[in-house]
Amino acid sequence: MARVRAHDADAFEALYDRYHRLVYGVAFRMLGDAPTAEDVTQAVFLKLWSAPNLYQSGNFEGWIVRITRNRALDILRSKSHGHSELPEQQPSADDLEETAFADIDAGLVRAAIAQLPAEQRDPIRLGFFGGVTHEQIAQRTGVPLGTVKTRIRAGLRKLRTTLEGTVSV
Amino acid sequence: MNTSAHDEMLDTVAVYALGALPEREARAVREHLRSCAECREEYRLLAPAVSAVGISAEACVDAASAGASVAPPGPLLKKRIMQQIRPNVGEMRAVRPIVWPAYAVAAACVVAVLITSIFNTSLNSQLRESQTRVAQLNAHAAATARELNTQRTAIADLLSPDSQRFEVANGYVIKHGSRLYIAMNALPEPPKGKVYQAWTLRQGASKMSPSVTFVPNGSGVAVVPVPVNAASVVAVAVSVEPDGGSKQPTSTPTFVLKLAS
Repeated sequence: MARVRAHDADAFEALYDRYHRLVYGVAFRMLGDAPTAEDVTQAVFLKLWSAPNLYQSGNFEGWIVRITRNRALDILRSKSHGHSELPEQQPSADDLEETAFADIDAGLVRAAIAQLPAEQRDPIRLGFFGGVTHEQIAQRTGVPLGTVKTRIRAGLRKLRTTLEGTVSV
Repeated sequence: MNTSAHDEMLDTVAVYALGALPEREARAVREHLRSCAECREEYRLLAPAVSAVGISAEACVDAASAGASVAPPGPLLKKRIMQQIRPNVGEMRAVRPIVWPAYAVAAACVVAVLITSIFNTSLNSQLRESQTRVAQLNAHAAATARELNTQRTAIADLLSPDSQRFEVANGYVIKHGSRLYIAMNALPEPPKGKVYQAWTLRQGASKMSPSVTFVPNGSGVAVVPVPVNAASVVAVAVSVEPDGGSKQPTSTPTFVLKLAS
């Protein structure tokens, strides 16, 4: 990132090669169509180029995932025309350190998520990729709100524990 | 906040970390995190798991077999992005010095040498012309100075009471030391193509020697220094001769003056 901050196009290209599948994948999962996911990917990387200082420190993967999700949420928000309440953007690292598993493999995470019980896995996926609030999850699944929250927390803890045994934070 | 309520808050922190809280509740959680170490620790514990959920969506070339939901974007996306990046880089690099290939540098040097050579040749030519002109002017100035000096000397000699004056037709012959002058004051203009020529007879010589030629001005005045050592001359004569002078008189002299030896 230091080289990207110095407007080194080669470094930027390497960064794109390394992370574009992640950015595009998150955008696609949230938006559901390739052209819009490409637009988000382009917007994220151009923002990274024009304002590289937005990223300060911490785990870059976690940061770029959050930036991508927030961008996709903006699009979902513009499409909803305010008819439904969307979750707030992913918490920033302003007051909390950006933490994530270092160099974690996407396949490994998919396997870990697959091990979660469906009652935990589904609200987590819906909450993260669906761009919906916990109340909307409760409404869609017919599960009480308190239970949804408890299952989300339990699922995230289990995911953390599973991954913790294979990679470091 | 009692234990039950706090447990519920911990669940809410998990939803906050997932990013699935509406704004009004998220604001409340943020406030709470500032003052509650236990909830802050819960957030730190769950945040990496949330990031991992996002990472699980990474597009994969063999998406189907890998259990991923999407294949990666095509190369056109990268091309589109890089096209927007490179022009910026170009602008930044525009200020960098241009590195010329060696052959271009060599060619430029040859051209520069040729231009310099031509320019130098032209300058040298101009310099030589200027030097010649300066030399001519210097020579002219020297000649003028000599002439002026001769005239001053002549005036001094002519006016000197020590000079010897010999009256002849239309003027005088004046001798002052070793210098000899012919000073005419009413000399007619010679015929066209003719000039007056002076003749001197040196002591011991058997015949006159040709000397300077001259013409009077419009008033018939002519003051002519005779280039000879007056001390060795015993006679002076003037005759009309063809322009350019003669080796021996071709006409009857206008005067012949014998000088005292």
